[in-house]
Amino acid sequence: MLRPERMRRLLIVAPKSETDTIVRELYRHNVYHIEDFVPESGSSDGLSIGHPLSGASDAASALIKIRAIESACGIDPENVEVRTRIPASKVRAMIQTDLPAIIEEVEGLVASRSRLEAQQKEHEQRAKELEPFVAVPMDLDLYRGYTRFSVFTGHIAHDVTIDAPHEKYFSDKVDGNMIVVVVPNEHREEVERTLLDAGFQAIPVPDETGAPADRLKAHQEEARRIEGEIAAINGKIAGIRERHADFLVACDELLTADVERAEAPLRFATTEETFLTEGWIPERNFEKVKEALVRATGGKIYLEELEIEHTDAVPVKYDNPSFARPSQMFMDLYSRPQYAELDPTLMVAIVFPIFFGMILGDVGYGAVLLALSLGLRKVLKSEGGRALLKVLSISSISSIIFGVLYSEAFGFALPWEPLFFSRHLNIGGAATGHGPQVVELMIIAIWIGILHITLGRLIGTRNARSLYHGKHATKAMISNLGWLGFMWGLLLLIWAFFPIPMMPDLTGLPVVAMGFNLAAVTGVVLLVAGIIGIAQENPLEVVELPTIISHVLSYARLTAVGLSSVAIAMVVNYISIGMMIEPQLEAITPVGVILIIVGILVFLLGHVLNTALGLLGGGLHSIRLHYVEFFTKFYKGGGKKYNPFGMKLKFTEE
Amino acid sequence: MVDVGTTLEMVQASQVGLKAVGAGLAVGLTGVGTGLAEMGIGAAAVGATAENRDMFGLALLFTVIPETIVIFGLVVALLLLF
Repeated sequence: MLRPERMRRLLIVAPKSETDTIVRELYRHNVYHIEDFVPESGSSDGLSIGHPLSGASDAASALIKIRAIESACGIDPENVEVRTRIPASKVRAMIQTDLPAIIEEVEGLVASRSRLEAQQKEHEQRAKELEPFVAVPMDLDLYRGYTRFSVFTGHIAHDVTIDAPHEKYFSDKVDGNMIVVVVPNEHREEVERTLLDAGFQAIPVPDETGAPADRLKAHQEEARRIEGEIAAINGKIAGIRERHADFLVACDELLTADVERAEAPLRFATTEETFLTEGWIPERNFEKVKEALVRATGGKIYLEELEIEHTDAVPVKYDNPSFARPSQMFMDLYSRPQYAELDPTLMVAIVFPIFFGMILGDVGYGAVLLALSLGLRKVLKSEGGRALLKVLSISSISSIIFGVLYSEAFGFALPWEPLFFSRHLNIGGAATGHGPQVVELMIIAIWIGILHITLGRLIGTRNARSLYHGKHATKAMISNLGWLGFMWGLLLLIWAFFPIPMMPDLTGLPVVAMGFNLAAVTGVVLLVAGIIGIAQENPLEVVELPTIISHVLSYARLTAVGLSSVAIAMVVNYISIGMMIEPQLEAITPVGVILIIVGILVFLLGHVLNTALGLLGGGLHSIRLHYVEFFTKFYKGGGKKYNPFGMKLKFTEE
Repeated sequence: MVDVGTTLEMVQASQVGLKAVGAGLAVGLTGVGTGLAEMGIGAAAVGATAENRDMFGLALLFTVIPETIVIFGLVVALLLLF
């Protein structure tokens, strides 16, 4: 918690004959993060990259085939529901017996489908070429085969008169008009010029015989027939997906594991007879893996725990309680924490829903979003999607709680007075009550900002100690404290001169010197000390001082964005109910009924829009407050992702 | 100047009206400002994300930084109105 999981660095050296056993054992445990071996150019230590285990290429080519079939059938292993887990031995047997037949069947179907698709295209193309000729009542054979005449066929803007002896047919029944002109060869050029002047575009005569209309119909029918055949093949493929999806994803998983195992030595260093590999294992699994390795190889292995030299080389594995785990997604979106620094996931997991609820505090919207997040679980099955939905459901519960406190549901007041501060705006004729307590809410938001930023700076001080060394660490710590001093000094100064509701009133303290009272003097001292503290690390940072004000005030969005969402909800209610539905209910007329229906539509549409806006506003602004205002105070990030060698078996079992 | 008979009520009403105008200007103009600022950042951020999917978090962060401007406008508007 609050720290990535502790890691230990392990060096494994063993004879090459044990490679397979060791790789298998490591893969089974699924905790060993391999540090890839990179040969140093020109070094003479005799180490080189290992070779893949036997069977690697076979497994890889089989895997490619399986993946091809999966994509042809539209199977995505990420989204396949786990129904039964097939034992690995059975999958292996089925790969020998059943798989070739399935591959053959699918490949055959896909091949004939693409052949049919090509045919269908061909027929459609032919039909398209024939279309203009349908307008001309003449068989297609009559267009060609003349030695003394030239035939012009094509689109033209308008009918033309031709001076030379000719035969002509013009039709405006088709798109772009159609003209056919037959002239003796000696007049060919002048006729062509006349036609081109009228915007003539030549169309080649299709290479067919018979009446164009009949041919067109024949092609269209053929295309339709082929479409039916394609649909039948698609049905067959869907049937295969239905029957074999479980088996195919199991094959995929098994072979992926095989390939990964077989290719692992590519990440090891080898000598003539031995191989060595370095990697990371979480502390809690360390001894167990060591013992298992010794047992599996019968002691033919050398294991040594190495010192951790640079903490930034350590892979980072989150270590959070289960309710905070979905929030890790927010961290990865920004940047994974470094090994040495504090992991703020837990704080994000707690504070994010509170911010979200503060902004979108509405029982109605909260309930809608909760239902949405639960409903979408069936659709979104990927890991990231799941995490997002979990965060959303926690946030919407918080939204419901705040809705109860604010006494709000879809912008209507609930039958009790707000338990917290009121956000009810005076919109519409029926406005009652004292209106929203904007100033109070704003000050609460500012208070949250002050505390959140103070927390951030305190963590920053702690991180400075663990991230840097020697003088730099001290300087960075003092700088962080300097920022704190500056902020609180400024606050004391403000409080010493202006009484602000819900904040300490320090105007009444005894005056010490120059009209400054005790609080003001303390404030000035803190302020100056803060500036010195910041400047001793980097004088340029002093330029950043005003950000302290903008960052604190930025938390006012917790109130402001929320109020705008309340305003939209209330306006929607007022327009739809107050202006359209209620007046009509008094005396129902046919026009009134239509107006009522329109009113209901406006109501639904407005609230759907506002739910989407609330989700976007609430989510984006809450996470932004973390990313911009909170994380910039302490967070470094850029940790390496912990990527254990192994796989979590979903569809197969050992 | 002809005295058109400004009564106390009219003065009060126009004060309220001008406040509302001020609040509207505060939100509207800051909104334009935020939009202008986010225009360039957003385009660059989408480009960067298209190149490298991992940039998304940082890109989003950069894009929403100018949001603060319009929030200040909203805060000012709310303080004006209430």
